[in-house]
Amino acid sequence: METIALTIDGKKISSHTGTSIFEAARQSGIIIPNLCYHPELKPFGACRMCLVEDENTGRLMASCVTPVEPDMVVQTASKRVVKHRQNIVRLMIAEHPESCIVCSKGNRCRLRWIAAQLGIGETNLYHMPNYKPYEEANPFIIRDLSKCILCGKCIRADHELVVVGAIDYSHRGFQSRPATVHETGLEGSSCTFCGTCVSMCPTGALSTKNTYYVGTPEHETNSICGFCSVGCSLAVGTSSEKVIEVNPAHLPGSVNGATLCVRGHFAHDFLNSRQRLITPLIRKNETQGQNGLVPVEWGEALELVANRLIHIRTKYGPQSIAFLGSTKCTNEENYLFQKLARASIGTNNVDNGGYCSGQKNTHVIFDNMGGAYRTSRIADLENAEAIVVLGADPCHSVPVFSYYLKRAAKQGTPLIVVDPRHTELVDFASMWLRPKLNTDLELINALAAVLHDEKWHDLAYIDKFTKGFRDFRKSLKMLDLGRVSRLTGIDRNGLTEVVESLKDKKIVFVVGRGILLQKNAMQIVGAIYNLSLLTGSIGVKGGGVYFLAKENNQIGAFDMGTFPDMLPGRQTLGDENNRKNWERKWNVSLSRNPGLNMVRMVEAAERGKLKALYVMGENILRSLPQTERVRQALSKVDFLVVQDILYNETTQLAHVVLPGAAFSEKQGSFTNLEGRIQPFDPVTRPPGKAKPDWEIIDILQAKLEQTEAYGDLEKIRMEIRQHVPAYASLNGKRQTWIQERSEMDFSNGADSEGSVKFIPVASIKPESNDSDYPMSAIIGSMRYHLGSGTRSAVSKRIQGVDQEGRLEISYQDSITLKVKDGDKVTVTSRCGSLTRGVRIGKSLSAGHIFVPLGFNGNDAMNLLALSDYTEPDTPGWNTCRVKVKRV
Amino acid sequence: MHPPEIELNELDGIIERHKNGKWELIPLLQDVQATYGYIPPESITPIAEALNLYPSQVQGVVTFYSGFSLKPKGKYVCRVCRGTACHVKGSRSILRLMKRELELEEGETSPDYRFTLETVACLGACFLAPTMMINRDYFGKLSPTKLSSVLGEYRQKGNNKNG
Ligand code: SF4
Ligand code: SF4
Ligand code: SF4
Ligand code: FES
Ligand code: FES
Repeated sequence: METIALTIDGKKISSHTGTSIFEAARQSGIIIPNLCYHPELKPFGACRMCLVEDENTGRLMASCVTPVEPDMVVQTASKRVVKHRQNIVRLMIAEHPESCIVCSKGNRCRLRWIAAQLGIGETNLYHMPNYKPYEEANPFIIRDLSKCILCGKCIRADHELVVVGAIDYSHRGFQSRPATVHETGLEGSSCTFCGTCVSMCPTGALSTKNTYYVGTPEHETNSICGFCSVGCSLAVGTSSEKVIEVNPAHLPGSVNGATLCVRGHFAHDFLNSRQRLITPLIRKNETQGQNGLVPVEWGEALELVANRLIHIRTKYGPQSIAFLGSTKCTNEENYLFQKLARASIGTNNVDNGGYCSGQKNTHVIFDNMGGAYRTSRIADLENAEAIVVLGADPCHSVPVFSYYLKRAAKQGTPLIVVDPRHTELVDFASMWLRPKLNTDLELINALAAVLHDEKWHDLAYIDKFTKGFRDFRKSLKMLDLGRVSRLTGIDRNGLTEVVESLKDKKIVFVVGRGILLQKNAMQIVGAIYNLSLLTGSIGVKGGGVYFLAKENNQIGAFDMGTFPDMLPGRQTLGDENNRKNWERKWNVSLSRNPGLNMVRMVEAAERGKLKALYVMGENILRSLPQTERVRQALSKVDFLVVQDILYNETTQLAHVVLPGAAFSEKQGSFTNLEGRIQPFDPVTRPPGKAKPDWEIIDILQAKLEQTEAYGDLEKIRMEIRQHVPAYASLNGKRQTWIQERSEMDFSNGADSEGSVKFIPVASIKPESNDSDYPMSAIIGSMRYHLGSGTRSAVSKRIQGVDQEGRLEISYQDSITLKVKDGDKVTVTSRCGSLTRGVRIGKSLSAGHIFVPLGFNGNDAMNLLALSDYTEPDTPGWNTCRVKVKRV
Repeated sequence: MHPPEIELNELDGIIERHKNGKWELIPLLQDVQATYGYIPPESITPIAEALNLYPSQVQGVVTFYSGFSLKPKGKYVCRVCRGTACHVKGSRSILRLMKRELELEEGETSPDYRFTLETVACLGACFLAPTMMINRDYFGKLSPTKLSSVLGEYRQKGNNKNG
């Protein structure tokens, strides 16, 4: 890059070839008026607002699309420039409708702002408004294209950033507008309602649909999205302590930049739901209040909790008490919560809702790599040489992550999707493999075998860093590829084709719930790990494994130790040294009992062994399979404490309900799926008497321990920094990264101790046919709900989309079952059944149905068995055998 | 009479011919337009899929060029020139006459899908003003009588071929 010297507004500036005049000016603090420019979008030159004058030539040019040239003398606000700018704005305003004064874009409209800057009131031009239909049939976005100035930001955001392609310019001249295919409303197009275009639109042409507030928010505060594990940065707009609008914060280096997804952008109205808990409740008498729950003061509620827990511990011992932490609560809260369980009560019966997303199964890599390389950075996806997506539907589960994948694919990175469904991502893939259900283990092993057969493995890497390759290759050689083809339905040619496209490449693996909740998921993750080592893809640029965690702080909850046999920092409880260490730190003696996970807690309750359960921020009556069974089990518990933000299925059973605060109402930090620790401050106060969850636990532990409370979040952070090395950089101001123990130093080679081992090749037993349940249900996410949908289901906007969560069936099955779009069917498994409408889609093979999660009280879970899938050969939670009947 | 039923097999063939080249969208659309007389809206998605574009982009191109139409047009598309030269030579009354004769407004197609009436800015044959095109044939120095005879001819043709 050559340095170029030029003068802008009398200021001597040095810039580089290829930089636009606009950028050069911006870098030296001169902001040129603009309407179609956006730092994340390719320059477009549509609005001509950024006109500048070259003094040498007298030329007027659009500075955002004109590169700097040596010795240019640029005026950004000369008389001539200003006059032209004024005229352009006058023309735009002449075409603008009168509804401008009541526009919901209000004071944030860029057109109005620029007009004001340029001193334009009356245009003195013939007013010729360009009326277009006002569209608001969908619950999220209002399109009033009369106000469109054709800047093209929405179209470019839609194509370049979120890679959806729902809209493009249609027609020419005066008629020209951004339009969907066949010019339907957005709801009839491929639009995902990510709202990215809404945040970018400079005028009121695109705006957020708000039912209870119109206008500009009074305050805007940055926060982190409370939904999925991508951890997008939000700018949350509030008025009178209510969240009224959310936009991307667009901070430098944030995961999401200028994008968001439908949940982050539009579903946060759940915060204002009337189902919010605003006071502590105690069950006194079934006839009083909300089925026996009556409002009390904090003092009474916490006194009761402390007394009952102590009483139960004395009577039945600490193992009769269990704690369920939350993947939605902060790191600090989860740390405190497990400390309450382990140190104050003396039990390791502590888990978190991440169980429902298969988080435990990701641990294979952590364990085998000695804690290193368990996360990879999302931004590094840009350097990926090849991407293999396994059992994941990121366009729905982690939308902002999927934008990275789609952008990589558009740039030509090979993208291989392995999924029984034709997911949205398949449209962007260079290859799609459709193995038979639950045969991924065989498929991945076979890929390793073929790759090794072709001698395309990375021998240098293997020699340098790994152990056990000889045994591994032996078992690969023994793999019966004929059997694999029969099981997976993918023949040798298919395998070879995949392997060819991976030749000499580092591979990025993206692993989703279809794998993590599959039967024997640990072995599958093991096979992925082997294939990564074989291709030299771990710990190097261009490779890596990305596990798609579901909830916003799923990773942090685990790191903080709300997991039975893992102490904070993911230290194994079984390890004597670890335990000793923490005993010293906390000055207590810790139980050796490995503790119960979520499913085992329910089983213990069923058997009458669990006397008290403290649930924080987890609606288990909605997120676990076999709801009825869970309900019965929980009603056997003597004392159930539920700390949550919403009145929900689980609070209804509680003896004590404690109102916590949502992420936007407290201080804390979340860790996203790539290990980015993001601190945040409150945006509003909690509603009513609700309190930040950490304060509640803090008061409680002080009561139990008869000690002083921390009283200050910083004190908790300090303790975490000191005791959890991975979180040594945790602080309240800036985002940081987890520090991973990296025993393999890939830059200098590893010593013999640093080597990592291949895992022995495992094999599956084919699933036997079940003629009573001839079909298979695939259970997966849809973008409108996160997880079990407790929060998204009370979002007014989300309620505005089809709440039925129609099942998808294939065309062939629709003929056999004699159903049409919208007809109702009953789906029955060995464990339960559900009835929903159907949608005939193109993504499934015959014999499969797709059941989206989150809808309809999350009844999808009724189909599954409440089984501890972390045990070998236990049914997974991704699919199940069903029969389908027309109602 | 109905707009010609669209034969999707033919569309597949057209897509197949174009799908591997670069910059093939416009030639492909031209083929589709030539085959069906318009771009059937239901062809947008398959075309986009084959060329790895978004359907919205294909529609953008279709609606941008006046040579493409998303609505079925008549067998004979009459384009009356409304350019300056023709205007001076009386194209306004030529257009009026056409409207009356065909009982169509600008942009409309007759219910029997025989005629479509359109106007254009300049046909590039100003020396023959006032001008008009029917499909690919030019007609210049138009007068009301000449117009009637030209139209008569096309009506005749239509009758012979379509019974
Ligand atoms: S809708 Fe808004 S963002 Fe899109 S082109 Fe019009 S003014 Fe620009
Ligand atoms: S909301 Fe998102 S998907 Fe829909 S048009 Fe806008 S950018 Fe595209
Ligand atoms: S991708 Fe996840 S974190 Fe980002 S806005 Fe959507 S739900 Fe929130
Ligand atoms: S900002 Fe440069 S043309 Fe719009
Ligand atoms: S003006 Fe009619 S042909 Fe040019």
